[in-house]
Amino acid sequence: MSTRPPKIMNYILLLPGLLVIAFFLVIPLLLTVVISFMQEFSFTNPIFTVENYIEFFTSPQTPTILANTFGMSLLASLVALLVGYPAAYFMTFRIKSIKTRNLIISLLLVPFLIDWNVRTIAWIPILGESGIVNYLLQYFNIVHQPVSLLFSRWTLIIIWLQSNLLFMIFPIYLALSRIDPDLINAARVLKSPPHRVFYEIIFKLSLPGVIVGLTFVFVNTLGDYITPSLWAGGIQVLGLSVANFAANFVWPYAATQSTVLILISLAVLVILFKIVDIKKLVE
Amino acid sequence: MKIPDFLVKTYIAIIILIIYLPLVFVVLLSFKSGANISFPIERFTLDWYLKPPTGYEYAAYVSLFHDRQFFAALRNSFTVSIVVALMAMALVTITALAFRRRMAGRNFLFYLFLLGFLTPGVTVGLGVNFLFRLLNLPFSFWSAALINVIYVVPFGLILMMARFDPNLLFYEQAAAVLKAPPLMIFRRITLPLIIYEVISAAILGFLLSWGEVIRTQFAMKGIGTLSTFINTQLGVNPLTPKWYAAGTLISAVSFLGFLVFAYLLTRTVRQ
Repeated sequence: MSTRPPKIMNYILLLPGLLVIAFFLVIPLLLTVVISFMQEFSFTNPIFTVENYIEFFTSPQTPTILANTFGMSLLASLVALLVGYPAAYFMTFRIKSIKTRNLIISLLLVPFLIDWNVRTIAWIPILGESGIVNYLLQYFNIVHQPVSLLFSRWTLIIIWLQSNLLFMIFPIYLALSRIDPDLINAARVLKSPPHRVFYEIIFKLSLPGVIVGLTFVFVNTLGDYITPSLWAGGIQVLGLSVANFAANFVWPYAATQSTVLILISLAVLVILFKIVDIKKLVE
Repeated sequence: MKIPDFLVKTYIAIIILIIYLPLVFVVLLSFKSGANISFPIERFTLDWYLKPPTGYEYAAYVSLFHDRQFFAALRNSFTVSIVVALMAMALVTITALAFRRRMAGRNFLFYLFLLGFLTPGVTVGLGVNFLFRLLNLPFSFWSAALINVIYVVPFGLILMMARFDPNLLFYEQAAAVLKAPPLMIFRRITLPLIIYEVISAAILGFLLSWGEVIRTQFAMKGIGTLSTFINTQLGVNPLTPKWYAAGTLISAVSFLGFLVFAYLLTRTVRQ
């Protein structure tokens, strides 16, 4: 058809984005993999070895680090899903006015403007030993000594929930609002019980959004080593270990751990994307 | 079985409360007298904002408006985030438009774009660090901005692609049949129909890069952006209400900036 712009035009439009991705993502990741097999970070006289991987997988700390890293991120994603799904559902099906919906979305966005660090230290006056929760507990004589609420794994989950909830709510909301209301009405007219309408139609059609939300939270928390190091009572996570070795200029070992981190997270994502085709969300 | 309205409202209120809880306490603590972060607050003061410095106190005790480094970092943050927002807006728009049609390698290219947020921050940061070391390139404003661009583009892309008007392609083809030049089609037909997604892409770019610490920390030099600056400060200095004052100021100013930015953008594009 002569009215359609030639296909080459599409590739030209993609070019600027691909260039940035090549330089700031693809080449850096490939380089990381190469360096992970080196003895020293030196390309003038490179010595290749698998020593780094042997060291990582035989280290007695590795199982704990891996369990912490992926366990906490997985838990954070599931908690965010449990809290976020009903919110997205109510916003789509129970709030009729578009204006109110947009207002709620804008309201959810505003706290993102607080600085990331400040958002983290904001929890000290809430959950700290002289924070408001402990103050109230003692005021009402529920406890007599301040209880340690900070620096536990659940604190980390709460903080991650607050900072990641929007990443969960938004894709689910997007998926839910694309469901044709006629499908739901048809099922109701045909006397399908409510739980089946929900599961067979609403939930199944919202799955791409659920998967995207889970992915957002999972990857975001996986890459965040600062919050766990500050708030989770010093639990070791893989990202923190990478940052520590990088800060001490032990480049190849940092690269090895970084490679393991991305390989395992990509494996998890491939499995998720195999279950549900997330491209349905954008087509 | 229908969930009663008041439960729905309560639930949404609780969600908003969770999201806002930190902000409320940041504002409260910023007016607290004394250096301890503790409850109850006995006396409120503006000291952490305004008190003139004596010249002998540690950085953590210098009031906010007299801290020059803080303002330098604030300016860096603004420029980085605005540049990220504009670049993300342009990239998201052209990329999303290109992805509408079937073409060889489309799926692969789409996932390649998604990789920007599918890769943990520390991995990207380390890799970019390696590349710059290898090529002997200095880190700059642009490296800090671009490392954020690849992180924010996927969000805008998903948002825009999910909301394309199904008839958009037909309208464009109709205009093309009537011999409208491509740029005119874009300005008069495509852009007005996707303008909210274009603006959302810019806003997302601004917000996400504004809060980014890990990627930015690996790809910047000097004082860095606000997030990286405060992160360094908190590592070496004691925690005082000053940082809560900083949080309050940042939220207030950037909220206003965010409104003005969105308003200007809507206006210029509509004309």
